[in-house]
Amino acid sequence: MTDTKNVIAARRRSTEFRLVLMAGIITAVAYTLASLGQNSVIPPRILPFLAALLLVLMSAHIGVRWLAHGADSTLLPVATLLNGIGYVMIARLSERLAGLQTTWTFVGVAAFVAVLFVIQRVNDLARYKWTFFFFGAGLLLLPMVPGLGFSSGGARIWVSIGPINFQPGEFAKIALALFFAGYLADNRELISAGTWKVGRFYLPEPRHLLPLLAAWGFSVVVMVGQKDLGSSLLFFTLFIVMVWVATEKTSFLVIGLGLFVAGATAAYFMFDHVQTRVAIWLDPWSRYQGKGYQIAQAMYALGSGGVSGTGLGLGDPTRIPEAKNDFIFAAIGEELGLFGATAILIAFLLMIGAGLRTAMRTTRPFEKLLAVGLTTILGIQAFIIIGGVIRVVPLTGITLPFVSYGGSSLVANYVLLALLIRVSDSSARRLGEIPDTATFSERFAARLAQRRIKKHPEELEAMS
Amino acid sequence: MNQRIRRFAVVLIVLYVILFAQLNFIQVGQKTTLDADARNTRQTVRDFNDPRGDIRTSDGVVIATSVRNAAGSEFDWQRTYPEGDLYSAITGYFTFGYGATQIEKVQNDVLAGRTIEQQMKGFRSLFNGQDTTGTVETTIDADIQQAAKDALGNRDGSVVVIEPATGAVKAMWSWPTYDTNLVAVQDSKLAGDIFNYLDEVPGKPLLANAYQERYMPGSTFKVITTAAALDDGLITRESTWADESEFLPPQTIDPIQNYGNKVCGGDLPEVFRRSCNTPFARTAIELGPEKMVAAAERFGIGQEIPFDLPRSASSEFGDVEYFKQNLPLLGIGGFGQGNTQMVPLHMAMVAASIAHGGVMMKPYVIGATYDHDGGVLQRTVPTVWKTPMTPATSTLLTELMVGVVNEGTAKCCMHLANGIQAAAKTGTAQLNAAGEPERSHAWIIAFAPAEAPKYAIVVMLKGTTAEISEGTGGTLAGPVAKKVLDVALAQ
Repeated sequence: MTDTKNVIAARRRSTEFRLVLMAGIITAVAYTLASLGQNSVIPPRILPFLAALLLVLMSAHIGVRWLAHGADSTLLPVATLLNGIGYVMIARLSERLAGLQTTWTFVGVAAFVAVLFVIQRVNDLARYKWTFFFFGAGLLLLPMVPGLGFSSGGARIWVSIGPINFQPGEFAKIALALFFAGYLADNRELISAGTWKVGRFYLPEPRHLLPLLAAWGFSVVVMVGQKDLGSSLLFFTLFIVMVWVATEKTSFLVIGLGLFVAGATAAYFMFDHVQTRVAIWLDPWSRYQGKGYQIAQAMYALGSGGVSGTGLGLGDPTRIPEAKNDFIFAAIGEELGLFGATAILIAFLLMIGAGLRTAMRTTRPFEKLLAVGLTTILGIQAFIIIGGVIRVVPLTGITLPFVSYGGSSLVANYVLLALLIRVSDSSARRLGEIPDTATFSERFAARLAQRRIKKHPEELEAMS
Repeated sequence: MNQRIRRFAVVLIVLYVILFAQLNFIQVGQKTTLDADARNTRQTVRDFNDPRGDIRTSDGVVIATSVRNAAGSEFDWQRTYPEGDLYSAITGYFTFGYGATQIEKVQNDVLAGRTIEQQMKGFRSLFNGQDTTGTVETTIDADIQQAAKDALGNRDGSVVVIEPATGAVKAMWSWPTYDTNLVAVQDSKLAGDIFNYLDEVPGKPLLANAYQERYMPGSTFKVITTAAALDDGLITRESTWADESEFLPPQTIDPIQNYGNKVCGGDLPEVFRRSCNTPFARTAIELGPEKMVAAAERFGIGQEIPFDLPRSASSEFGDVEYFKQNLPLLGIGGFGQGNTQMVPLHMAMVAASIAHGGVMMKPYVIGATYDHDGGVLQRTVPTVWKTPMTPATSTLLTELMVGVVNEGTAKCCMHLANGIQAAAKTGTAQLNAAGEPERSHAWIIAFAPAEAPKYAIVVMLKGTTAEISEGTGGTLAGPVAKKVLDVALAQ
């Protein structure tokens, strides 16, 4: 560990430490201000809050320091900042949910460290691509199983197993990103070569295209079967972006766009709820008493926030239905104003930047595609829901990563973050920025092998 | 693949820039529209859930306050007006969904504790949860206000009492009016119904006719014509007018007549106290359109009254070009008929300027504002608005108005208690054309004591009852003014 190359890792980690600390301070100050604004008192539970905050931040940071010390230094701090701001808003909206969100944050960070610990070589994941495919597909279809799945808020995306309710879709998208990274890394040349001649065009072999069509099918299933437009759009974008990046063929982009337009148009004419979404997107005001109410309230909230916001705890975000969830961005826009809302946008752009930088630095196709996929999930999901809230695109209910209330979402996003950090660390090793030391399992395997060689030296000779 | 990733990054940046642009559009561009949307009750709800300071009279009577609602109510506070309708035109209302008016509107920041000073001082309250609301103290004197209401009774009209030296409004009462508590209810549908009703009933109770409406002033306007002619040097105390019953102005064949076609004439004190019309018609026409209009402007006529309550009306006389073409109307305007329109508050200010050596002060009803600990936030400093006449002219006008009380049209009813000498001018503005049933506004402007004026007053009785007929202005408005001045001067 005295290697001079470790200077880079040490520098990254100390930067990360300072940034994480800053995110913690911002969160703590915001938490205090929200309480002052709302009840004019210093929050009564400030000490346990600070202790929990410190514990969360430091365990995540130490996890990275211990298990991925060459990784990018901005991903974790930005994620914890988003988580912190989200927590402050949730605590301000409902004390009860704040308690649950605290639990989810602990679980999320635990999952984060666990993923970093378990998955120490990214390429191990590529081997299990078909496992991920079936796992992801299974998760995605789980809510449609009678008796297990149930609807809430119009979308059938929940699964209830025993006492635990969760949204399997949140994890399915990571599994499918893993599958696609693996599948495309192996088959991208075959797909892009196009050996199947149809008329004047060379198309990829049908059997290579099949998984892509399956992906489109999944989007349709999610949209039709679960009425979850946002997730459907997200899956579809994820697949198109990954195929396009992998094959470098613009034609896939064109085909993808065509399929999207066809699917969207069909959905518009087939489903009432799609038509409603479009109508309230174009004009929420005339449906103020009905479905447009939520968006109208979000508009009022944003307007009342103005440039600098009403101040934490001083706004009225409880008037927005689902402010803790899909509409948390409107609540932030109200109390923190244009400044705060822009800060959230910049935070997501920073994560996108770090994610895509990781993708560009690494040389292995699988890692590249995985980083692109994970970043797409994060960046596009945030765009879809923020854009829905502020009427850039029709509203499709999905969570704002790291910010919205919700266990499945938060834990899944921490898993996603761990994978991105793992890819980033891995590329740093490959680029020689940090020594590529053996992982725990490798060292353990090596020790076992050494012991066997000592015991049975004849085996080694037999091998050679 | 890196090139595609780079392009993808550009696409994502563009998407987020679109989000940023839309945020700007909503939070900056549309902010005003969104805040003004009638369905957007965020600000009102916030206000209703916050405490709000008191409004009180100069002698400490609370006229608007907030009381805490029982636990479980939709809103934490209820705005109440302990004096019912007595101060509705002063405090205005603070409603859920229908905005606020008068002091509730213009002093909203102070009452809600939102001025920067209060916020700074209130920093301590972050730790102890104390409220930071402020108090507004009006210049209104509770006894005079009550006397004005009692004296006017159920006749349409208004009473305004001003302190000549400062411009402070000591009483301002209009009838018909409404009980502010009726519209401050938290059931916004009920409030809406009440507003609709108040909008439709005759007499416009929602408008304070004392300062938000204007009326033909009749002979009270003669003080302005007289002041103009005296300052110009056209007439003096010694000027005399021949006895006549009517006068034929240029440009017409329709003569101007005195009341009842009576023969009327004499020196200035005589024609003033008898309120002859023809001398003032002649004087106005002799002065000419330029000088009369300039004089009206010196009195602030045609300009917005710099009052500290919102939406005050402005008085009207006419413009030079119009009068050049219509000299008879200038003559009629010289005794307050025709197109001349005066806001009752403005007439009180005219009386006050005569009482104050020819200097007209800005009228105000907000005396001072205080923070939660009683510290002064702002105290209104009396300021001069106009200097409509010379001190000599004001002295002479005082003498003429004393004559009106002692031997003239107000002889009947302006002899104040304890022998205090008042100075006054009556007016009866004839609204009906020849041949129609009689309909007139009855006016009186006055101040007392004449030698050292403490209060100036206007009383206006709207021409909605047959009780008022030409020549009875003094006898109807005079007793109201006397009652109010007696109460004021008894203090």
